[in-house]
Amino acid sequence: MSENKYSVIGKPQIKVDGTELVTGGARFAGDLRFPGMLHGYAARAGVPAGLLNKVDSSRAEAAEGVVCVITAENIGGPNLMGIMPPFDQPVLGADEIRYAGESIAFVVAETKREAKKAARLIEADIKPVKPVLTVEDALAEGARKIHPGGNVTFTRQLIKGDAAKGFDEADIVLEDDFETSFQEHAYIEPEAVCVVPSGDNRLTVYASCQSPYHLRGQIAANIGLPMSKLKVVQAYTGGSFGGKDDVASEIGILAAAAALKTGKPVMVSHDREESIIGSNFRHAIKIHYKTGLKKDGTITAREVKILLDGGAYASESPFVVMKALIHAAGPYSIANVFVESTAVYTNKTYAGAFRGFGVPQVTFASESQLQEAADKLGLDALAIRKKNALRPGDSTATSQVLDESVGIVQTIDAVVKRAAEVPVIDEDERFLYGTGYASLIQGISNGAEGIDVVGASVQMSQDGSVLVGTGLTELGQGSRTVFAQIAAEVLGVPLERVTARLVDTDSVHDSGATVASRATTTGGMAVFKAATEVKNSLTQMAALMFKTEAENIVLKEGFAVLSFDDSARIPIADVATAAYWTGFPIMNMAFSRAPDADYDHDTHQGKIYIAYNFGTHMMKIRIEKSTGKVDVLNHIASHDVGKVINPLGLTGQVEGASLIGYGLAHMEKIEYENGIIRNPNFADYAVPTIMDRIPTEVIAVEEFNSTGPFGAKGVGEPPVAGAAAAFVNAVSDAAGIRFRKIPVTRQDIMLALRSRDSEEE
Amino acid sequence: MEINFICNGRERQAVIGGDTRALDLLREDLNLTGTKEGCGKGECGACTILLDGEPVSSCLLPAAKLDGRKILTIEGLNPESGKLHPIQQAFLDTGAVQCGFCTPGMILSTKALLDKNPAPSTAEVEIALSGNICRCTGYGKIVQAVLLASERLQVKS
Repeated sequence: MSENKYSVIGKPQIKVDGTELVTGGARFAGDLRFPGMLHGYAARAGVPAGLLNKVDSSRAEAAEGVVCVITAENIGGPNLMGIMPPFDQPVLGADEIRYAGESIAFVVAETKREAKKAARLIEADIKPVKPVLTVEDALAEGARKIHPGGNVTFTRQLIKGDAAKGFDEADIVLEDDFETSFQEHAYIEPEAVCVVPSGDNRLTVYASCQSPYHLRGQIAANIGLPMSKLKVVQAYTGGSFGGKDDVASEIGILAAAAALKTGKPVMVSHDREESIIGSNFRHAIKIHYKTGLKKDGTITAREVKILLDGGAYASESPFVVMKALIHAAGPYSIANVFVESTAVYTNKTYAGAFRGFGVPQVTFASESQLQEAADKLGLDALAIRKKNALRPGDSTATSQVLDESVGIVQTIDAVVKRAAEVPVIDEDERFLYGTGYASLIQGISNGAEGIDVVGASVQMSQDGSVLVGTGLTELGQGSRTVFAQIAAEVLGVPLERVTARLVDTDSVHDSGATVASRATTTGGMAVFKAATEVKNSLTQMAALMFKTEAENIVLKEGFAVLSFDDSARIPIADVATAAYWTGFPIMNMAFSRAPDADYDHDTHQGKIYIAYNFGTHMMKIRIEKSTGKVDVLNHIASHDVGKVINPLGLTGQVEGASLIGYGLAHMEKIEYENGIIRNPNFADYAVPTIMDRIPTEVIAVEEFNSTGPFGAKGVGEPPVAGAAAAFVNAVSDAAGIRFRKIPVTRQDIMLALRSRDSEEE
Repeated sequence: MEINFICNGRERQAVIGGDTRALDLLREDLNLTGTKEGCGKGECGACTILLDGEPVSSCLLPAAKLDGRKILTIEGLNPESGKLHPIQQAFLDTGAVQCGFCTPGMILSTKALLDKNPAPSTAEVEIALSGNICRCTGYGKIVQAVLLASERLQVKS
């Protein structure tokens, strides 16, 4: 890492919201209590596909404690939601059932137990139809249409150069099929929301959510209130990873409709099973991948066909289609690329956003195939990656020329250097040993996925303390700490003097969603901008007090200091008080907008993202021959993050994302049987426990990014792809068998080893 | 039925239904919402409390079983407000907390371990915390936190 000239930025900081989390004082949505509060619980379809003739709620309505039942007919508004067009998802199933977990009626009662019990009394007359359960069936000629427009949700192409020509130039061409499974977010806090009529002719929505502004808009549209009548306050949120958006809307709309109807606060807090069957997954994807290379390892062409199983509704499938498309060719300079990416509907729980957003799946395929090519050509794994890696001035698969912050080569060099220091171990013949590598690229912030704006407020009080607000949510990733650090650095006050609060939609501009690794980059820029305005007021005031010019004032250590005389100091609180009474504003609301994407929509050629995170991972593993059990012996994860804001938060993000990648590659799989999920609990769906942890070692590369605060760029998502792809390459290396379908479970490894042994006999 | 128990050092009396869970008694009747419900089936550890010093899933524990027993919840760990228990401080210092939803259970499992075994090995830490799922941190920093707390508590005693 480069030398650090800052006082707060770049130094390890304890989470600013940590104390309430370790004492149990933090109030998550499900912890809130209001007088007269009612509880809602949804009845679900239970069949994956069918025609819904009638919902009879009379028995439920008569049950003990029940106050009312909301069905599709009496929800109030259009009964339609979605994150982006097509808004194709009913809040409560009406006419047609498209997945088994679909809510069909919402029972409101005095206690959750009563609501849950009464929900079983909802009688739905559903005429089952044959479910469409695979992407192949969905696309087959004459397939039943799940939606009126057909079974293709969204499809796009990326065309750079001439792939056919590139394959002609190649010495070898590899062509394979890869497959990934649905992955569940498995945040430990199930979704929860509480809607409270606030007595001022408005509703306050306390929510465990990722996108308070989406939630506000979706509720307003569905219950017929103007958005200005709604205030969404983010409650402490127990993890999200992309998952608390659509489902937060669903329960938010239902609770709001019930609160409006009853005039009472209404709480919905999901059970674990509801959280699994009734909210989105990471897409299961089939990938046909083709790479052409010269003998020296130069990639001449890549051609990729991506088929995403999007489940019953669009959710964020269109954006995931694009993100997979844009990242499919990897972090390499390749002249000829063709990618086609298509999401289709099936009668399963909908798929949508999940940390990485399509990039982990395509990276697994592309890095697997590149490794096979290296093995075939007898080239070193990292050398072939370095040979093809993007460098400043090169163009990506979208022909975006990157001039700065292109640290892929540096991450490869960092891994080479660190790997050389890893002690060589004595190998035991009971095990098979292997090493896997993967390099990756991940676009930061919304880019081609839409307008990229964030609101922030920085307010200094007369005592010199600072309150920071933004429209982006703290989900555990540490964004409140990062925002507080940025304000502290700009205003020259100790971090302890800064409070960064949770989102309240009344208080700052609509900031869109907290997605796409954008909080530090674009949210941080908004805070930087707002804080700089406050700083300008303070330096002008201090200049008047010192009888000098503003440029001679430095804010540091809680003082305004003369730049040419370090002993000439006025406490910030005195400057703030004077500024207030003199008429310099000491609060600023910034509205920060990132540069727009600019590209051709037919070929996806052009400027897509404002910055890219680059990474290289190495994993050394061993497989126990007798059981197939895998131990990860070393894991090095190097990422180019532009500038480290909080080293403690950075390592936490990389370690946590890596284990999610490991789960995706090795353990986690939603199991369906005839459209019904067989493992909607933590006993049968294997989330990594502490026994499964991997020894991730994080190496930060800092290639300055001018679009982020202090040069920073996000890192929340990228390690998922790196760890998943490196794991599969390591296992394939150890076993001597190429695995092209994930998860590669212990059982898969055992079976593959046995079947090879029996062939050899 | 009526039960009497000691919660966080304080004598408590409650009238409960036969099927009330200890988790609901804590959260709904005593307003101790630091104990979380993550799965309701004893699979995630978010609802861990200490029952006579032993970590248990309060979602599986009938409230009736609390009669005559002593329990500790996260709210009882730092009775002096403003001063954290060394385990809590170690979790913060090492970055072992992200979203924080699993944290109360994780900290109480740690307390049960360190009370019995003040200097655990890494393997012993793993076994003790194997019933507490965390989706955010990747667990590395949690292991560090427990070892750091162990070190600090030993110096203190």
